[in-house]
Amino acid sequence: MFKHDLKIVLTLAQKNFILYIKKGSVLIFGLLFPFFMLISWILGRSISPDQIIIGIISMTSFFTATAVSPVILPIETREKSLERLFAAPVSLMQILLGIILASALYSFGISSIITLIFLLIYRILALSFISVLAIYLGIFLMALLGSLIGLLISAKPSDQTSDIMVIINLIKFPLLFLGGVFIPLSNLSTYGSILNLVSPLTYLTELLRGVVNKSSIIPPGFNILILCIWIALLSIINYYIHKRTMPKRFSEVSNSKNMMKKVKLK
Amino acid sequence: MLQTMPNHIVHIIAFMICCRLFSIEIFHETKATFFNCHFTKGKLIYYFSIDNINTSLSVVNSNMTITINPAIKVINLQKKFGNIKAVDDVSFEIEEGSIVGILGPNGAGKTTTIRLITGIFQLGSSSQVQIFSNDLTNSPKLLKKKFGIVPEISNAYSDLTVWQNLRFSGTIYGLSNKEITTRAEILLKRFELQDKTHAKTKTLSKGLKQRLNLCLALLHEPPILILDEPMTGLDPFSVNIVRNQILEFKRENKTILITTHNMQEAERVCDRILIMNKGKIIADETPELLLKKIKPASTMVFTLKNDLSYEQNTELNSLFPLMEQKAYQISIVSNTPFKDIMKLGDFLEKNKLSILDFKLQESTLEEVFIHLIKNDIKGGINNVQA
Repeated sequence: MFKHDLKIVLTLAQKNFILYIKKGSVLIFGLLFPFFMLISWILGRSISPDQIIIGIISMTSFFTATAVSPVILPIETREKSLERLFAAPVSLMQILLGIILASALYSFGISSIITLIFLLIYRILALSFISVLAIYLGIFLMALLGSLIGLLISAKPSDQTSDIMVIINLIKFPLLFLGGVFIPLSNLSTYGSILNLVSPLTYLTELLRGVVNKSSIIPPGFNILILCIWIALLSIINYYIHKRTMPKRFSEVSNSKNMMKKVKLK
Repeated sequence: MLQTMPNHIVHIIAFMICCRLFSIEIFHETKATFFNCHFTKGKLIYYFSIDNINTSLSVVNSNMTITINPAIKVINLQKKFGNIKAVDDVSFEIEEGSIVGILGPNGAGKTTTIRLITGIFQLGSSSQVQIFSNDLTNSPKLLKKKFGIVPEISNAYSDLTVWQNLRFSGTIYGLSNKEITTRAEILLKRFELQDKTHAKTKTLSKGLKQRLNLCLALLHEPPILILDEPMTGLDPFSVNIVRNQILEFKRENKTILITTHNMQEAERVCDRILIMNKGKIIADETPELLLKKIKPASTMVFTLKNDLSYEQNTELNSLFPLMEQKAYQISIVSNTPFKDIMKLGDFLEKNKLSILDFKLQESTLEEVFIHLIKNDIKGGINNVQA
């Protein structure tokens, strides 16, 4: 039974992976956006290679992780394929896991390659095997966490990806600026540090700082623990919120209400 | 109940022995008719039909009870969207192997009813859906495998190929790769889609997409097929293919629930018709009975030389409640046309009105259906009957 359930999750993830990684919004917000942000951050500034590696890894994994998961449900609602899944012997949990897995794999894949390239250029010889492993564990956890954040935002029962992308960007940027990517936690005031602890990205950047140049305030093990707690919490919240909002995706009345709102606005 | 026997003589003897051995009880004064038979694939098939499908037949002896239950049993279905009652206390049963059509205007609650039956919407505490006597809420995953669903608008993944869609569907229904390949090849051949196997779904025409939907619905060999407006927007060739397939499913003893706007289509394929309006079932009849009730209506169509005054309009409306006016042209649905022509003549003479033309045409089922829905079909049917 478990084997069959797992097979369904993998099939759903495979389908999501094939269908959605080439979508315009995924390419723009997952690849182009962080690339140009990095360029504008690095160019013309004297930033240490360690700082660049930490920034690039954190930003790539955060942006790629939050790129795929928010677009799947709105698109599948619009194309009615979500209804097909619900009429099939597939549970809500399996549908959500399929989305998280596809999104996390996409993020982990791209972030891993970019991390490897930058480690080879700058630091690979100076880092131990355990440190490299810790970096990859951090990327993997951020891939899961970012996917869960994206999925949570897509709980709004909309069939328009633009609706979701607006909200996700409103949440993503404050989390990025509070995440210690640009200013390390150690350089912030007490209040600033407390505020930074709200962003889950802080724990990835702190983990990377601890591994790359031992300049973190929070110990690496604690960062991993906090990232795991975030993942567990968001998984539970996601399940209950999606369970609540999912029927609204199939409601013709709510869809037509949305349509009426749009017509009125136009 | 369908029984397949090697030859009819053995069957008749066996049936007589069974009648002697078991005491057959048919509850609720149901009339049972036996036999109706034809040959299929060299075997004689007997149909044992029960007139009242709401009744179960039990074969009883001292130690044994066999009860034949409906394929779908729906009890007190309800669904609200905000303050709107989309489905309001709907109950019905569908006998195994029969084709039941749900008819109704847009927003009548047909699709919501299907979504409740197929488990897409969660059932309320007082609602119950039974599939072959098993409660849907108790084992949804298992029972969802009993359905094959063909939607009105294709919901196959548009960026996947026909084959990828079939593979995906087969896997989530728990089929092995070998089963998927074998069955998909048969279905693609049956629906003439072999040439499109590796074409992306978005490149297919609407008719081809609908055929793919049928393939997807049949891949896991479900005993129940649910078709939501399967012929809407299709060209006559595709309509013919879909219609023939529906009749083929019936021969395969599949239970079919079909929603449609099209009265003629429903009349052609359905054994029973449920008419829904405003979330309620307002008629539940065989097509023959339904036709008997509403077919005699005719439509008087005439064009006035001058416009009607407000008082004249009110008077004409009170004489003919099922009247429709488009500029100078007036249509009146009438169940007693000759009496109504006299009435109309009196009205025109009294008001000194002239008409340019007049024709009496037999109403199409569609026209009558629309009129009846407009005037709350329950009252409408009763009026027509009266």
